[in-house]
Amino acid sequence: MKEIFDSIHYFCDEFSEDGNFVTIKTKQLKSLSLYLFRDLDCDLSNVVALRAKDGFIIKYLYSYPKKDYFFIVWQNVQDKFESFADDIPALNWFEREIYDLFGLIPLNHPDFRALPLHPENYPIGFHPMQNDEIKDENYGTYEYKDVKSEGVYTVPVGPIHAGVIEPGHFRFAMSGEPILQLEIRHFWKHRGIEKLCEGKEIDKVLKISQKISGDNALSHALSFAMAVEKICGIKVPSFAQYCRVIAAELERISCNLSDFAGVFQDAGYSFGASGITALKEDIMRLMKLLGGNRFFKDFVIIGGISKNIKPYTKEIIAIIKQVNITFDKYKKIMENSSSILERLETTGKIKKQTVKDLSCVGFTASASGRFSDFRKTHPYLIYSKLDFETLVLDEGDVSARVQVKLNDIKNSFKIIKICTNYISQVDKPKLKARYEIKDGEEFGYAQSNRGNIVHFVKIEDNKVVRFKPRDPSFMNWQSIQFAVLGDVMGDFPLINKSLNLSYAGNDL
Amino acid sequence: MIDLINMRFRDKLLSEKLEFRDENIEVLGLELKKRVNKIFKKSFSIREVDTGSCNACEVEINALANPYYNLERFGISFVPSPKFADALMITGALSKNMYPALMNAYELTPNPKFIIAVGDCAMDGGDFKDSYACMGGIRDKLPVDLWIKGCPPEPIDLISGLLKLLSK
Repeated sequence: MKEIFDSIHYFCDEFSEDGNFVTIKTKQLKSLSLYLFRDLDCDLSNVVALRAKDGFIIKYLYSYPKKDYFFIVWQNVQDKFESFADDIPALNWFEREIYDLFGLIPLNHPDFRALPLHPENYPIGFHPMQNDEIKDENYGTYEYKDVKSEGVYTVPVGPIHAGVIEPGHFRFAMSGEPILQLEIRHFWKHRGIEKLCEGKEIDKVLKISQKISGDNALSHALSFAMAVEKICGIKVPSFAQYCRVIAAELERISCNLSDFAGVFQDAGYSFGASGITALKEDIMRLMKLLGGNRFFKDFVIIGGISKNIKPYTKEIIAIIKQVNITFDKYKKIMENSSSILERLETTGKIKKQTVKDLSCVGFTASASGRFSDFRKTHPYLIYSKLDFETLVLDEGDVSARVQVKLNDIKNSFKIIKICTNYISQVDKPKLKARYEIKDGEEFGYAQSNRGNIVHFVKIEDNKVVRFKPRDPSFMNWQSIQFAVLGDVMGDFPLINKSLNLSYAGNDL
Repeated sequence: MIDLINMRFRDKLLSEKLEFRDENIEVLGLELKKRVNKIFKKSFSIREVDTGSCNACEVEINALANPYYNLERFGISFVPSPKFADALMITGALSKNMYPALMNAYELTPNPKFIIAVGDCAMDGGDFKDSYACMGGIRDKLPVDLWIKGCPPEPIDLISGLLKLLSK
């Protein structure tokens, strides 16, 4: 790391190191960002704009995959800032979001269209985080990137889809069977969470954080809680840490099983799908037994956990064992069925370069040859003590993503076993630590089944003054536009399911 | 293929073996089926519209299709279009961006229609009430016939809610 720090010193004006976070202020922002993104092979993890005494501050968070380090690069901004989206495509949506919410203009942005605030529904010049009054009520329109040529036709889909799923708009440009271009338009579910959380009490924000993406309620609560715990210097008791890991892994199993069922369903194999959804139901009922509801809502609290799960260790072990056996059977069926594998293999390929450019996270990245799992690269809670094997595949197709997820389910079974053994031996379980709220700002992160969640939290006078959540889907959504190219329309549901992206988490 | 058949017989994994039973669901479900048969001639179709939920409600509505509940055996199905739905099931806090789409779906649903609000945010916006991006639920925008509360409501709540609606 010393060599890297030396090269960073070459760029920077201010440099400070705090644990695994390195904060850098520089005038050569572009060269430093490119050094981090290209030479050090960092991933872009979050971009936060916040109000300062004089103007605004924009913070870019890069995560270094080879060692447990994060780099925060920041700059002061008045009303415009330089856009790097051409060089770092992962910044594209972040910069457009900052313009919509704060009104800060990214100069020379390659694709400067509205993102969360649809121009048809929000007046031009309305920037909610800027607290300015809107003067005139003019509305605009959104321009799609239409492909025009002989024999090319467009298939618009959404925002309301055929199944029981969330809303989003997809525009396929087709030429015969293959898809020429897919354009996605999201943020139909934009609920203004960032603005809503401004100035709210910590407990209230914790509650809202569980509604960012409901199926990952626990992981979102965990990342928020860990950010607050870091600000206030709270040491979570080790019993609570183990319980948090058990809960997080149960949530991971539940979500991954639902994906597995979805792949069976979309490949036209309903027998497998209904069997797996029954397993998911078993896990959800276990979650209700442990946490009081089927999503582990309100399980994580600041400083620890709200319910003691020690009395239920026997049930956990029994249900996990039974689910594991049935799961193996279905896995075998899939691996032996050529008709299912034929649908999965070579479908929805994402290249390694695409994954790198967009800073994709989770199984999407791992299945395309770029390892991404914060449990290994930036271990939190007690993950550094746990031994599990992660999978990296180079194919980048639906089959590879399914395999990474199935391997993840296996890991979760193993981790739960280790942790339940540990908590059953604890004599006096301590659920939470006492704490006092302090002022400060930190990033908190946790790995959900989709990838890493990174939250930025700033506290002043016991209130949350800035909360910028970043769901893994925000990083991964754009990759679907590349995954479908050249495939047929009929494969789209399968590709979509294999990427398993959350609309709610993306739209905020 | 032969491998697959052999394996299935060897492991005794036959579809008959997959039995899931939840007594509460059976009791509620049969009651539900009676009413669906009587009022709707054996089939009641619902169109689900998400107007800005956190997707937990969708997870629970999807769970109704798993073998424990299997709602379709009681004659209730979720249909892909509002044009042939008897009821609209609405989740979420009604975001500004989804409002026009919801209104389209409402107009396309043939009369007479039921409006079912699902989840704590659906009626008045819940936690998202004060947000600039939400319109505070569907309470004063659509004639709601049934509100199934819960964050999110569990599948059994959804079933008993539907039973309540059809008992009116």
